[in-house]
Amino acid sequence: MLRKGITESFGAAIHALNTSQLTDGVINRSKRMMLDTLGVGLIGSTTAVFNKALKYSQLFHSEEKSSVWGKSGTSLPPHYAAFVNGIAVHSMDFDDTWHPATHPSGAVLPALLALAEALPSRPSGLDLLLAFNVGIEVQGRLMRFSREAYNIPKRFHPPSVVGVMGSAAASAKLLGLSPAQCSHALAVAASSAGAPLANTATQTKPLHIGNAARRGLEAAQLAQMGLEGNPAILDMDCGFGIYYKDYSPYAMSDSTAGGFNWILEDQDVAFKRIPAHLGMHWVVDAALAARAKLEAVMTFDLSQIRSIKLKVPPSKYINCPLPTSEHQARHSFQFNACSALLDNKVTVSSFSEAQINRTSLKELLSKVKVETPDDNKASFDKMYCEVEIETSGGQCFWARCDTFYGHWRRPLSHVDLVEKFRANASTVLSSEGVEGVIDAIGNIEMMQECSSLGSYVRMTRNLNEEL
Amino acid sequence: LFSVLQKTIRPVWAVRGVHMSAVEVMKRPAPEDTVTASFGRFISEVKPRHLSSVVLQRSKRMLLDSIGVGLIGSTTEVFELALQHCQHMYAPDDISFVYGRKDTRLSPTLAAFVNGVATHSMDFDDTWHPATHPSGAVLPAVFALSDMMPANNKPSGLDFLLAFNVGIEIQGRLMRFSNEAQNIPKRFHPPSVVGTMGSAAACARLLSLNESQCSHALAIAASLSGAPMANAATQSKPLHIANAARLGLEAALLASRGLEASPLVLDEVAGVAGFNAFYEDYIPRPLESPSDGGCMFLLEEQDMAFKRFPAHLGMHWVADAAALVHKLLVGVGSGTVSPAHVQEILLRVPHSKYINRPFPESEHQARHSFQFNACSALLDGEVTVQSFTPSAIRRPDLLEMLSRVRVEHPHDNQANFNCMYGEVQVTLVGGDILKGRCDTFYGHWRNPLTNESLRKKFRNNAGAVLHSDNVEQLIEVVEDLDRLEDCTPLLSQLQ
Repeated sequence: MLRKGITESFGAAIHALNTSQLTDGVINRSKRMMLDTLGVGLIGSTTAVFNKALKYSQLFHSEEKSSVWGKSGTSLPPHYAAFVNGIAVHSMDFDDTWHPATHPSGAVLPALLALAEALPSRPSGLDLLLAFNVGIEVQGRLMRFSREAYNIPKRFHPPSVVGVMGSAAASAKLLGLSPAQCSHALAVAASSAGAPLANTATQTKPLHIGNAARRGLEAAQLAQMGLEGNPAILDMDCGFGIYYKDYSPYAMSDSTAGGFNWILEDQDVAFKRIPAHLGMHWVVDAALAARAKLEAVMTFDLSQIRSIKLKVPPSKYINCPLPTSEHQARHSFQFNACSALLDNKVTVSSFSEAQINRTSLKELLSKVKVETPDDNKASFDKMYCEVEIETSGGQCFWARCDTFYGHWRRPLSHVDLVEKFRANASTVLSSEGVEGVIDAIGNIEMMQECSSLGSYVRMTRNLNEEL
Repeated sequence: LFSVLQKTIRPVWAVRGVHMSAVEVMKRPAPEDTVTASFGRFISEVKPRHLSSVVLQRSKRMLLDSIGVGLIGSTTEVFELALQHCQHMYAPDDISFVYGRKDTRLSPTLAAFVNGVATHSMDFDDTWHPATHPSGAVLPAVFALSDMMPANNKPSGLDFLLAFNVGIEIQGRLMRFSNEAQNIPKRFHPPSVVGTMGSAAACARLLSLNESQCSHALAIAASLSGAPMANAATQSKPLHIANAARLGLEAALLASRGLEASPLVLDEVAGVAGFNAFYEDYIPRPLESPSDGGCMFLLEEQDMAFKRFPAHLGMHWVADAAALVHKLLVGVGSGTVSPAHVQEILLRVPHSKYINRPFPESEHQARHSFQFNACSALLDGEVTVQSFTPSAIRRPDLLEMLSRVRVEHPHDNQANFNCMYGEVQVTLVGGDILKGRCDTFYGHWRNPLTNESLRKKFRNNAGAVLHSDNVEQLIEVVEDLDRLEDCTPLLSQLQ
């Protein structure tokens, strides 16, 4: 199929988009995304995978240094800061999710903040916001090039496909590259895209986001130095099209004058309330509702439960009857339903090794049966979950969740979003740091230059300080 | 871990009405039986004594060619760009050498990166069947890692050769998992798919990682594999090899620190793609453990092709065919070939979009153009490194010849380096028709370069940046590598 000018149109748009085209709606939504991403990255800096990546990254040295979120005495070369911070963001599967499905912010924000700290003249808050939105927009556009992207993935992990492209676009924007250089940044990034789904639900998954951030930044910097790739990378089936079975790209319209229709304006993101795959949020809300119905009639007693039936969409990689690791647990309908039923809540601590290995939980898990009804589509826009508890007395308690609280159709309130941030950030930051970040993001469009943000994410708690 | 799980399930199994989902877990293969685990086991258990003399001989030829190609590659623009990028982004780190730059060192993964760029920068490096460029993805990583190891604990020459061969073997094995890999690629550039895995395997071997760590190195590498064909024939292509080397090393280093990934990455799990994400058809097979009485490396059965000039492998067929016609033309006339005598040039070549370029505009495009290479060979009698300079590309004579070319894709000419052929048919102005055909170019695995020819190529390449004494010493030390207690003599020639 002969297509022309699509890559060129992306390069031109990335170059030309300016701050006056940011609408109030988009500014508001993207600030929420930035805050959530920072919080999730901060708590993520306590994970084992983050620490492994940090130790590895400390092999590298450079003159320019960028902050490592949640670490007061540590800095890294910008690429590696983007790498480890990206890993932190995705380490607990707690970061934002969009439709079509990907985790857009984790691939972009770490790269931008790392780059901003390394630039000779610090960008303003608005510059940062603009670059961030460019990175999100490009990801959204690319996912709309195929029908395959609309369903829960099977081959490539979406953040590894579109995330690196978003990071390249955002970095190119912040660097002020020419339209041709922006196109080449995308082309070079395309050669760094694509990681297989099999590594999700393992310790390596967060590296998909970490690498997307790092290598997108790298692509933009190589393009700045004159490296060229295929100028029709988005146009060709053997270009970006290789990651999809069906591929129909289209150009970005000329955005030099007038308004710009940001995808984020029409399609919001979902924020997670629990650190687990998005699908788990439906089953948890349904399980909690089913338990509430049971408790309206009798006391909850584990031994009285005969069976639990889950009706979920078909998806191999989140159907795990007996998870043995934290990563598997975050990707298990069965585990999350049972945790919710057993504890009447699912929180950050539900995924610790001790909690996963509880005999009471395993006993409950053995009673679970999973069904995948034909009308339950593997799409975050259409799926539902049903939980049915059958007691030994023969009574049934049933609940269904179509839209969990935090989904884009039912967004988290501002208060709840900030509350999530505080809970996350205060695991590593002092209260000055916590409030400082909330403030800085809240007023980002007014900030002349954003170095204060870098300082706040490094204001760690005194180890002796009480929680 | 799995056996513990089975113990906890057993009492449940005894209860009536156990649910299907729990049974599913028990049906999964025991970890030791997976293809992924067999690869991990092979890498960790294979020993130098498993290398036969044929494999040693062939891999030393690959080593020499790859070093030479990397050295001349250090004179290219893209190499300079990549090096500047690494030096700009990172402070000097006095660890691993850089081809052609005596006083420059970088941290190991960055050195692997720039040396990988050098190796593939001119499309002059080795090619295997099924198609990939195996050495460039592995050697830079093995060199960088060797430099990283302490001075009193460097690998022996045999350890070095073993790691290198493991990296090659893993690539060969992985490509045999699919039919798609047998033909000239359309979607993913093969070095970016199997190269990263090979590099991870080689580095895991050199680091002496245990079986489980070796498997995880491969799995981590899988998440770093895969780049689109569209970037081949652009300035970015060398980065595919470079990143394969760098990221494979990174995967092994991360695995050595305990990072874990999918234990089923090479196996086929319905609904969740692992390494098979990169292929339309995929049938994995386990690697036999080397301790079971001997071990056959693929390199023993399937030799390597070395290029005589820096262009895509397909070009070598048409160049050799055109050279035959050139000889006929020169024999007939004045000693030079003039486009004025030529009415039409017909090329009969396999169908492959990315090496069919009627009027290439850059050096990269010229290296990937049947038309350009045929016409260069018709004019000059051969294609050399100099055939791709800007002035050579823009010669009026050449452009005139190019305008007379017509291309046909006969049905029997398959896009496969094992069966393709190249035919050049020139119709002269007077009406005479001269034909040349090449089934197997000199340098192909069926018609390998002699040691003499290989060394001549190396001398031309290495001599572009090194002193001739240095060049001869390198030839000697590679020849003696399997007898060296310590690979330092090889490393020091390149520092």
